[in-house]
Amino acid sequence: MTFNPLEQRGIPLDRQVRSWRELDVAPIDPDHCDPYTRCRIITMNGIEVEAILFSHQLARHTADPEIKRQLARVRYVEAQQQKVVNWLLPGVSSVLETTIAYEQVAVDLTAWVARMEPDPYLKQAYQFGVLEDFDHLYRYANLYEMIEHRKAESIVDGLTEVMPGRPTRFHHRDPVDNVRDPYAKDATNPLSKLHALTIMSAEQQTMNFYMNTGPTYMEPIARRLYQEIGLIEEEHVTHYESLVDPGETWWEQLVNHEYNECYLYYSFMEQESDPKVRAIWELHLNMELEHLHAACDLMRRHDGRDPAEVLAPELPNVLTFEPNKAYVRELLATQIDLTTLGAGYVREAHERFEAMQARLHGDEAPPSDQVMAEHQDMFDREYRLETEGEHPDPALREK
Amino acid sequence: MATSAPTPHAGDDNATDDDVVSLLMRQHGDIRNLFDEVESATGDERRDAFRRLVRLLAVHETAEEEVVHPFARRNLPGGDQVVDERLAEEREAKEVLASLEEADPDSPDFAERLRALRTAVQEHARAEERYEFTHIRRSGDAGRLAAMARGVKAAEAMAPTRPHPGVESGTANVLLGPLAALMDRTRDAVRSAMGG
Repeated sequence: MTFNPLEQRGIPLDRQVRSWRELDVAPIDPDHCDPYTRCRIITMNGIEVEAILFSHQLARHTADPEIKRQLARVRYVEAQQQKVVNWLLPGVSSVLETTIAYEQVAVDLTAWVARMEPDPYLKQAYQFGVLEDFDHLYRYANLYEMIEHRKAESIVDGLTEVMPGRPTRFHHRDPVDNVRDPYAKDATNPLSKLHALTIMSAEQQTMNFYMNTGPTYMEPIARRLYQEIGLIEEEHVTHYESLVDPGETWWEQLVNHEYNECYLYYSFMEQESDPKVRAIWELHLNMELEHLHAACDLMRRHDGRDPAEVLAPELPNVLTFEPNKAYVRELLATQIDLTTLGAGYVREAHERFEAMQARLHGDEAPPSDQVMAEHQDMFDREYRLETEGEHPDPALREK
Repeated sequence: MATSAPTPHAGDDNATDDDVVSLLMRQHGDIRNLFDEVESATGDERRDAFRRLVRLLAVHETAEEEVVHPFARRNLPGGDQVVDERLAEEREAKEVLASLEEADPDSPDFAERLRALRTAVQEHARAEERYEFTHIRRSGDAGRLAAMARGVKAAEAMAPTRPHPGVESGTANVLLGPLAALMDRTRDAVRSAMGG
């Protein structure tokens, strides 16, 4: 890989605003698209949403009106990018269909990052999280068959398996146990910073999506399941955001954001199977290169440091959407009974965990268990997609 | 690939079916599943799957015309316009459907037209769910929703939706003649189930 975003120039900022005609993109076909095209769209939407929200926070902490104006200029373009990316999703998809695609992203993106992450503590954080997203996929897939009579394989297309992960009822931890230790910004591998930002952004978007779309359902079990999993997304955002070193300056964080956007658009451009979508990744990469240069200028001016000091010397290996079935199965076999204690991981249900569980569940089954019971009543079976054989954990095989 | 057993058609699962909207939404999924089946099959199997798809579409649309649209017309603000738009979509879908009658199911032309039909049907189904069903649930009491569900279930019984052991040859005649008769029979069954 020889692509170095710091040495490339893109489309000048004053030529980046697009007209209505250019913003009016044709959506993908939900029944015939490459599932990983949809995953890339959902990922980039989460990345652009984080870019916009981060820039707003930065602007609110900035007194200099000239800097506010510059942030506003770039942010408007980012808002257009978000519109183009997310509007690739088709209007004919239901919220639940899109939800299942979100969970496929969470599984295959997090699993890939876990496989590639060089730092063992960070790797463990991703391994821990992926088994929870995996179980959410399974619960929503069962809800989907109940409400729409469709199997989740019509969405994930056999690229991702659908079966129990760490049972959702055990994801509800005392909030203090969701806070991790951060990486050290000057010692960590630059790739680790990109990973943390990417997963945090994806989980944040999932949290936002569930908190806003959950109440659009009328079916009581759907409303309740979105509430439960929505609260776990809150835990996941806490988990992943605490991995990022809070000692990074605002300008350094801005540079990391823009660099990560270049990295991901470049990665997705390299793999995209849909030519129309690929053209968008390429166009956006050419926009992001200039956003990166503008951010680097701000960092040089305000921090008096060269951004090259905090960035990778060249773009890391491309981030890839691909099946991670064997890897997930290995984690299912070895890490399903983990929970967190403080910033670490343990196998026993400790006192604080038990107290939270008792407080939340009381004496009733959580919505994630109720959905399985209701599905069982309706179909006399559950829904699973086990393409590589039976579940690795004998206790979680279908009875 | 180990997946769960096929999803049964609406009415054949254990749902209580006391809510017409849930029932019709599941039937929309059944129709989508049949499109998948037609697309992935070839030869006689494709012909058979296509025939089942056509029958389910005919029965489903007839039930909606008899049960859902009249209720929407009477009870929703702007109901006339909403229903007219849905009926226009249905007419368009029926034209594509009729044009498929003569096509060889294994020709590339068939696949292309089937895809156009699928798009039209799916857009129509989501429009119903968003602009019609939501309001029906809001304005219909439980008794009314259950009565309408009975009407739709009576219609369903008219469509054999499982693959046939023996496959008839060709799609000729399955559409217009027998289909029109099927729609008539469906209409009668719905009216009788809903109390005439």
